[in-house]
Amino acid sequence: MTSSPPALPRNPTLSGTALPSIRRALRGAGLRLDFGAAALRLHSDSAAMAAQLQAVYGNFDFDVSADWADLHVEVMRQRGLRRWFAPQVVFRCDGREPFVPFPADSPLPLTEWGVNWLIGQRLNDLLLLHAGAVERDGLALLLPAVPGSGKSTLTAALSLRGWRLLSDEFGAYDPAQGAFRALLKPVALKNQSIEVIRSFEPGAGLGPEFPKTRKGTVAHLGADARSFARRREGALPGAVILPKWSAGSSTRLEPMEPDRLFAALAYNAFNYTTLGAVGFDAAVHLTRVCPGWTLVYSELDDALAAIDALWSGVVARHAAARPMQPEAAA
Amino acid sequence: MNPQAAAGHVQLAWVRALREPALTLGWTLPDWERVVRLARRLRLLARLAASVEAAGLLDTVPPPARRHLVAEMRLSQWRTRAMVWVLDRVGATLAGHAGPLVLLKGAAYIGQDLSIALGRLPSDVDILVPRAQLATAQAELVRGGWEAIELDAHDTRYYREWSHEVPPMHHPLHRVELDLHHNILPPVARMRVDADRLLARLQPSKWPAWQVLHPLDQVLHSAAHLFQDSEARDRVRDLVDLDGLLRHFGQNPAFWAELTPRARELGLAEPLALASHFCVGWLGTPVPPEALRDIAASGPGRLKRAWLLPTLSSILTPAPADRAAPWHQDVAALLFLARHHRNRMPLRLLVPHLWHKLRPQPLSAADAVMPGRKE
Repeated sequence: MTSSPPALPRNPTLSGTALPSIRRALRGAGLRLDFGAAALRLHSDSAAMAAQLQAVYGNFDFDVSADWADLHVEVMRQRGLRRWFAPQVVFRCDGREPFVPFPADSPLPLTEWGVNWLIGQRLNDLLLLHAGAVERDGLALLLPAVPGSGKSTLTAALSLRGWRLLSDEFGAYDPAQGAFRALLKPVALKNQSIEVIRSFEPGAGLGPEFPKTRKGTVAHLGADARSFARRREGALPGAVILPKWSAGSSTRLEPMEPDRLFAALAYNAFNYTTLGAVGFDAAVHLTRVCPGWTLVYSELDDALAAIDALWSGVVARHAAARPMQPEAAA
Repeated sequence: MNPQAAAGHVQLAWVRALREPALTLGWTLPDWERVVRLARRLRLLARLAASVEAAGLLDTVPPPARRHLVAEMRLSQWRTRAMVWVLDRVGATLAGHAGPLVLLKGAAYIGQDLSIALGRLPSDVDILVPRAQLATAQAELVRGGWEAIELDAHDTRYYREWSHEVPPMHHPLHRVELDLHHNILPPVARMRVDADRLLARLQPSKWPAWQVLHPLDQVLHSAAHLFQDSEARDRVRDLVDLDGLLRHFGQNPAFWAELTPRARELGLAEPLALASHFCVGWLGTPVPPEALRDIAASGPGRLKRAWLLPTLSSILTPAPADRAAPWHQDVAALLFLARHHRNRMPLRLLVPHLWHKLRPQPLSAADAVMPGRKE
């Protein structure tokens, strides 16, 4: 077949790499993690780091190249007397230490929070909505985070049922491309959500549990191999669903008015005000093209069925709105 | 001062691109990665971006680096808008104020549309009023919704008697901090500046409500701000500001003739000599030879230069982004801090003040920075 591109040589994955090799990379030239819309170069001398990374970034390439990285992070054991009785790890970026240290056995949660903070501060070329984001049929479904919404639970469930994961934390909209981009940080499940996802999909490869963090117990669900392989592919704005988990309730989907939709997108974003007019225009555009619903649910399977049922309508709506190429556009 | 001094600073070679953006055309992707990291830490990334964009070269920047320039420019534009809004509101709040309202530092550069106003990341606004009107201005600001942070008795006294400003003020609507000054250096410092001399030579800004210091005094304030401070690490940005001020105001020949006499008059000859040493040596600032001689002659003597210049050189040289600061920089920073305290207050005030500061303070929630949303 002449039309198919030659297969690119692939790096081994992190899960296919022995821990000592990962440790060596972390202590040496650094391990590169490509989230899609941004790449991290990570250094660490923490003994626990390699195994924790492998558990949640298992489908990522084992990449020790010197290729471009947007973020540079060191998670290092704290020196000094403390290391003998209460050892800690410290998060460093470009020579600065923006956070208080974490216990030495929890380098992964520190890395995750720290890197998310850096992304929210720095990637102002993108409008960073605080939302879970998944893709199907080339269209992004956004699940904005309103307090207590359980967006991570629903994002995790969708990604375990065939939707492509874009991000758990960032609806990363690129105004220049008019598309959402992937930021494949693992889904951070908290407290009872961990058990919910375990019973929803017993085969889900959750990382280790970290009890007693600032947000309670946390466990991470890493991106699957397909989401990682397609991390450079964008997704056009599709629809917005504001989820709300409510014990014992039946599944209810109700359409949202555009004004509420706009508020749910813009006022929940990390950098809406920073972007000024660009942020406003982007939020207006998303409000115009995306239908929005509120979703109240107690059963994940029911909620997913309801989303599946309305999705064909979403796809049809976007197909009708998109101008035909090229005659109809003229 | 000499080309060797400049050549010794490989880490700073990229700073030349702030004025000569075409130099970036020769940068490889790894060069960009190194510069983006360091320039961001030094608060010069948006400045570099603005300069590259003004030269029409943004499209020539490799895309992985370009997005960071665009992102940081947006941050700078937003912070600048926030600052201009604060100045507009504070100007309205103080509209009934009797005396002059003066913009200092970054606010003044923006208020004059200087080229160094481009790509700044303002996080606080510095303004000055005559000391006699300080209390009234403060009260008017409180009526306008500005809140002072709560202080203990010692700190209250410190600000009232020994400081050149009132405690920083906050406003629920604005995320910019407001620093209200009555002088540019503390009134008990060894270098005591007579604020009346500053107020006698104010100039208009582009906003009718606000004035700025005389160009000579802007340069001297900027020099004093850097070289009389407690910490000068990672402050190449301040040198770049000084370079920009000298280049801009130095176009007027009268500026150079008046600079040293004015520095002597205000008691700021030492910071001026230090500023000129590093600007000329590191950034190639064009200072006429005669002015250079005068500045050096009225600056610190040979003995002081022998320890102060290497100390400052070590402090001002930024550590590369992925390496810890060298040990000699820690030593130099400590020396510089000691000099700062010695210059700031006489010992009879300094010893009790430092004793107070050394007492264990309860860790406030604000100090315990945790990673999370929105800072």
